[in-house]
Amino acid sequence: MTRPSPPTSILAIALVVACLLAGRPLGAQVSVDSLLDGSSLEDLWVHVNDRDWEDLHTHFRENTYYPADVEWRGVRVRNAAIRVRGVASRNGHKPSFRVDFNRYVTGQTFFGLDALTLDSSWQDPSMITNRLSMLIFRRMGIAAPRVAHVRLFAGAGREYVGVYAVTEEVTESFLRARFGEDTGYLYEFNHLENDNWGFQDPGPRLGWYVPRFTPKTHEFESVANLYMPIRDLVQRINDAPQSDLESRLGGYLDINGVITMLAIQNFVAQTDGLVGGVGLNNFYLYRFAGKNLSVLIPWDQGNAFGSFESGFDPPPWWNMDSNVLASKIWNEPKYRARYLGALLQVADLVSADGLLLTEAQRDYQQIRDAVYADAFSPYPLSQFERAHTTIEQYVRIRPDEVRQYVASLTQ
Amino acid sequence: MLERLGYIHSGSRRARSMKSCPLRVVFTWASAIAILLWGGAAPALAQVKVTFDKRPSIAVGNLLTADIRFKSQLDFTEFPDEPGTPSKPLVDLHRTRLGVEGRLMKAFEYQLEGELGDAAQPWRDIYIQTRPFRDLQVRAGQFKIPFSLDQLTSGMDLDFNYRSLAAAFLSPGRDVGVTLFGRVMSDSVRYQVGVFKHGGDNVRESERTDAQADRTYAGRLVARPWNAFDNLFRTFSVGAAFTSGVLPAGPNGVRGKTIPGDALFQHLFVNGHRQRIGGEFQWRPGPVGLQAEYIRVRDQRFGQGIDNQDLPNAYARGWYVTGTWLLTGEQKRDSVEPARPFLRGGVGAIEIGARVERLAAWSPGVNDGSFSSPRAPWVMPVADDVWTGGVNWYWNDYVKLQANIIRERRAADGRVIVGQGDLWSQTFRVQFGF
Repeated sequence: MTRPSPPTSILAIALVVACLLAGRPLGAQVSVDSLLDGSSLEDLWVHVNDRDWEDLHTHFRENTYYPADVEWRGVRVRNAAIRVRGVASRNGHKPSFRVDFNRYVTGQTFFGLDALTLDSSWQDPSMITNRLSMLIFRRMGIAAPRVAHVRLFAGAGREYVGVYAVTEEVTESFLRARFGEDTGYLYEFNHLENDNWGFQDPGPRLGWYVPRFTPKTHEFESVANLYMPIRDLVQRINDAPQSDLESRLGGYLDINGVITMLAIQNFVAQTDGLVGGVGLNNFYLYRFAGKNLSVLIPWDQGNAFGSFESGFDPPPWWNMDSNVLASKIWNEPKYRARYLGALLQVADLVSADGLLLTEAQRDYQQIRDAVYADAFSPYPLSQFERAHTTIEQYVRIRPDEVRQYVASLTQ
Repeated sequence: MLERLGYIHSGSRRARSMKSCPLRVVFTWASAIAILLWGGAAPALAQVKVTFDKRPSIAVGNLLTADIRFKSQLDFTEFPDEPGTPSKPLVDLHRTRLGVEGRLMKAFEYQLEGELGDAAQPWRDIYIQTRPFRDLQVRAGQFKIPFSLDQLTSGMDLDFNYRSLAAAFLSPGRDVGVTLFGRVMSDSVRYQVGVFKHGGDNVRESERTDAQADRTYAGRLVARPWNAFDNLFRTFSVGAAFTSGVLPAGPNGVRGKTIPGDALFQHLFVNGHRQRIGGEFQWRPGPVGLQAEYIRVRDQRFGQGIDNQDLPNAYARGWYVTGTWLLTGEQKRDSVEPARPFLRGGVGAIEIGARVERLAAWSPGVNDGSFSSPRAPWVMPVADDVWTGGVNWYWNDYVKLQANIIRERRAADGRVIVGQGDLWSQTFRVQFGF
C-alpha cells in the first residue's frame, strides 16, 4: 500500500473536517430530496447522443430506449436509458420522457430512484397542476409521487430544452420508501380507448385484465398468478353490499384510502382520475407482499384544475356514479359521510395558512423565467399567465365552495 | 434461433421484394425456359432427356441442363433451461429448400434456390456464372460473400448440426454482387474477389434495412500446395480472406449468440467501416478430416459516444478446430458417399467428430463503469467456449442422421458467468436431400 504524501493527507483531513463543521456529511450533499421537494428550480442535464436525441423526437411514438447519462449538481449517473412516454400527450415537439436507471445496470439508481419521468406538461399550460395535486395527496396521507420542476438540458452541447416536471416513478424504490417493502405486486393501470371501465365485473376471463393492468413487478409470472387476485378484487367490489363494503373488501382494498383519493380528485376537479369522464385512469394498484390487501396510488394528475378554466365547474360529487365502487360509496350514507368528511379535510388543508395558494404562487415564481426562455413550450406565454391566474382563483374559491356544497347536503 | 441454425435472410432489396413461393417461381422459370426453347430452339427439343441419377434432371441438348434440388432438415433439440430467456422449440423444421441448378448453353451455369419455410424472404442463391475458363470465372446475382470456409460449406454438408459460432455470426452471409473467381497453377491456388451491394444478410435487421448501407468488398485466397502430388498432403489447404464495407450509423454492431440462440454480444451503436479478416485450414487425409478457422471483425464507432465522441473500435473474434473420422473408411469429402449404403447390404457411413470453438467480443480501453450501455466506450469482454461431440450416420446419398452433444461455458470480463459455466445441449437431426 502506498502511503499518501503529507500534503495529500492534510488536504483530505481538512476536507473531512470542513464537511463535518458544515453539518453536511460526505455523500449526503446531494440527495434526491433536494431535487424533488421543489424548493428550488434545479438544472438537469441529459447527456445523449445527437442522433438519439433526434430519433427520440422523430420516432416519438415508439418506446425505444436510448442510452443516456443524467447529470445533476455535478454528479453524473451513467448508463441510464431514456425513451419517450405518454399516451394522449405523446408528441415530437416537446416530448415527455421516462428515464430508467437500471435498464442497462441491474440495481442502479439515481440517488435511490429506479426511474423518473420528465413531463413536458403538454396538456397543462400552467405546468403545475400535477405537482399541486400530488402535494395534496401526500399531505392527506396517500402514497403519491413527488413532483418538482427542472430546467432540462440535453446533448453534448447542453442545449436548454425547456421546463419539465420531474416525477419520481412508482417503482420498487417508491414502494420501499412509502411502504417499507417492494416485493408485492405492482400494476400500472392502462386506460384503453373508449373503454369507460369503472370496476364493472367483466366476467371470469383473465385475458380481459392483461392489457389494462401492466405488471411492474413479478413481470414474468403466469397470467393466473398475476391476474386472479385482481379479478377477485373486482368481483368483490361488485359483490360487496353497499351497506357493508368491508364485509367483502375488508382486507382486500384500502377503502378509506379510495374515499380520500376520490375526495381529493373531486376537490381539484381532476377529470381524468378514478371518476373520470371516460372511466378509470391514472393510478397504480399495489398488492402487499403475502397479503390480499391492495392500495391505489395516484398518477399524472395533469388534468386537475384545468376544467375550471374551461368553464366546467364540477361539483365535488361529480361522476360518483360513474364506477361501481364510487357509486356504492356515494349512495350509502355512512360512506358518503366519510367522503364528505374527507372533502372538508382537503378544504381545511389547502386553506390552512393559504397552503395551496402559497405553493401555486411559489411554483409560478420559480418557473416563470425558465418558461419564458423555453423555446419548445407548446403554449403562448399569455396562456401560461392566464392558467396561473385561473388556478389561483380556483384555489382561493374552492375550499369555501366545497364547504357550502357539503353543508347543503348535510342540512 | 433460426438465424443461429442457418436460416439466413436475404439482405437485398430485390430479394426482399420477392415474396412469392419458390415452388411457384421455379415452375415459372421452367415454363419460361420451355417456351423459349419451344420458340427458338425447336430442333433441340428433340433432344430433351429426363433422367434420375441421384436427382431429377432435364437436359435439352446442349442448350440447357436443369437438376432439381431438394434439401430438408428436421431438428430435435434440448437446450438448458436458462431463466430470463425465451423457451426454445423441441422440434424445428430447420430447412426445406427447393432449387434448380445446371448449365445454360455451354457458357453458363446457374442456380436458383429458395427456402419454403421462409415466406418473408424465401430466396437464397440466385446467380449465374461463366463456365468455360476455370482460371477466370464471373458470377453475378445473389450468393454468399466469399468469406469463411465453414459459412461457404453447404448446410447439407456440415460435420455438425450447427455451423461454428464464428462462421454463423461473424461471416457476412449472402448479398447481391459480382465476383471473379478461378483456379490457377494446376488448382494449387483458388481465388475469389467480389463487390457486393451491401454488407450481407447475416447482420442485424436494423442494418439490413438501413438505407445508408453501402458496398462491401471481399476477397479470399486458398492455397493447396500439394494438390498436384499424389500423397497424404494432397488435400492440405490454407487460406485467408477479408471483407471491407461501410457500416451504417446506428445500432448495427455485430451479432453474437449462444448455442440456444440467445444474445451473447452487446447490441452496440456503430459507425464507420466494418472489416473482417479470416484464416482457414483444411486437411483431409483419407477418412480423417481436420479443419480450423479464425475470424476477426472490427467495427468502427465514430461519433457514437453519449457526448458524440468517437468510441474505441468494437471487436469480435471467433475460431474453431474440428476433427472428424469416418469409421467406415470412406474418403472424407464435402459430401460423404457411403461405400456400402444402409439397407442395401451395408451399414452406410459412420463418422465421429469433435469441435472446440470460441466466440468472443471486446473493445480496447479500461472499464469506466459504462460497459452495459450500447454506447459504452469500453465493451465488457464476453466469450462463449463450446465443445461439441457428434456422430454422423450417412445412410446413403440422400439420408443423413446427426447427433450432437454440446457443452458451453460463458464468461464475462474473464470470469465464468454464474450458472453458465457448464451448460449442456443435445441436438439430433434427420436430413434428407438430393
